[in-house]
Amino acid sequence: MADGKKLEKILVPLEVGRAGEHDIRIRWNDSSESIYIARKLRMECPCAHCVDETTGRRILKEPAIAMDVRPAAIEPVGRYGICIHWSDGHSTGIYTWEKLYGLAQR
Amino acid sequence: MATEQQVLDALRSVQDPDLHRDIVSLGFIQDMKIVGGDVSFAINLTTPACPVKDQLKAQAEEAVKKISGVKSVQIDMRAEVRSMAMPTGQFTIPGVKNIVPVGSGKGGVGKSTVAANLAVALAGTGARVGLMDADIYGPSIPTILGITEQPKPGQRGLIPPVAYGVKVISAGFFIKPDQAVIWRGPMLSKLVDEFLRNVEWGELDYLIIDLPPGTGDVQLTLCQRIPLTGAVIVSTPQDVALNVAEKAHIMFQQLKCATLGIIENMSYYICKHCGEREEIFSSGGAERAAAKWKVPVLGKIPLAKNIREASDNGRPIGLVEPGSPEAAAFAEIARNLAAQISIRNMQEQEEPLVKITF
Repeated sequence: MADGKKLEKILVPLEVGRAGEHDIRIRWNDSSESIYIARKLRMECPCAHCVDETTGRRILKEPAIAMDVRPAAIEPVGRYGICIHWSDGHSTGIYTWEKLYGLAQR
Repeated sequence: MATEQQVLDALRSVQDPDLHRDIVSLGFIQDMKIVGGDVSFAINLTTPACPVKDQLKAQAEEAVKKISGVKSVQIDMRAEVRSMAMPTGQFTIPGVKNIVPVGSGKGGVGKSTVAANLAVALAGTGARVGLMDADIYGPSIPTILGITEQPKPGQRGLIPPVAYGVKVISAGFFIKPDQAVIWRGPMLSKLVDEFLRNVEWGELDYLIIDLPPGTGDVQLTLCQRIPLTGAVIVSTPQDVALNVAEKAHIMFQQLKCATLGIIENMSYYICKHCGEREEIFSSGGAERAAAKWKVPVLGKIPLAKNIREASDNGRPIGLVEPGSPEAAAFAEIARNLAAQISIRNMQEQEEPLVKITF
């Protein structure tokens, strides 16, 4: 057996917190930090109601989302992401760490 | 007369080879007493299945004896399994310290046999072990462990029957042999939820989960619902099995459940007439996969008639033929897995889980 080889370091957040009043700030374990504007993140919801499952096309229309939409609560999903309970009652999307990190790089 | 400080300094020279730290800074030393030249203390390991228990004891004894004025050294070897990191705000099973799914990718590689024997071998070291048979389509744990007893209703949920020191719950307890499970996803998720939430597991060091083959609903639900210590992947040595095993590894990676290691089953066959070793399903596959995934090979199990017979008779090989190479293979895998769990938990301690402060 391998002599206690270290497992590869995976990119995960250290903290998912608040930025300003209702935006989200994520502190990553590579010591970077990303800020997510609440409404923009709501628009990125990856769930099957918001994105067509087979084509991957966004079904969600921008004007349908309230200007002041914000997270009401955020909870962890396994070890790989978060579920955001939005103020408009929507909560079916799982935002994986990869997705969140990718969004920040755009 | 030796001082406590001198003894601790001497013990700092003893390294845990798996955790790569000395046993003092790991906090293993407890209850030190020094009376004249007689020194006594306890070494509290991270698992009763520690593969280097005797080595650590001998090294510690030698180190302390070198201090001038020390006449005798008494070491009490103990173990307390450390818990995986538990994120706040997520469901956990109270009292269960580590949850380890055993997956395979491909079916028919002997995953259930490995999971059952691994659980029994872990329990044999003195650890408190549970085994959840989540292979809903083909639950075989009750057969392999010879369980005829049904779970009993308890105060908060079902009380699992105990076989060879292992608390077992299985889909097989609830499905008649002449019934087939033809379920869609949500039903499968519901059963997993039941097994997690409504079983009185009690205090467990390790909960082993026998997964169905593949990368489907059961795996996904499990990874979403509860924090897992890490997964074990079982494969046979041939490429066709390993290619599918890799898909299981990738699934766990995507769900941020670490792969703790790979177990190679049906690794080789020893001819009982001539003693020649034959590699029926090829060889070196587990090493190649392990190198690619950067995980250890936890062990190799031979293709042997006595494992098949023991499993069909519902009596684990470790108890039927404790001196056999097959029993030794499972015991070694149990020790290696326990060591990897300790390493993983130590790393997690150093790198805390995500905090949600929104």
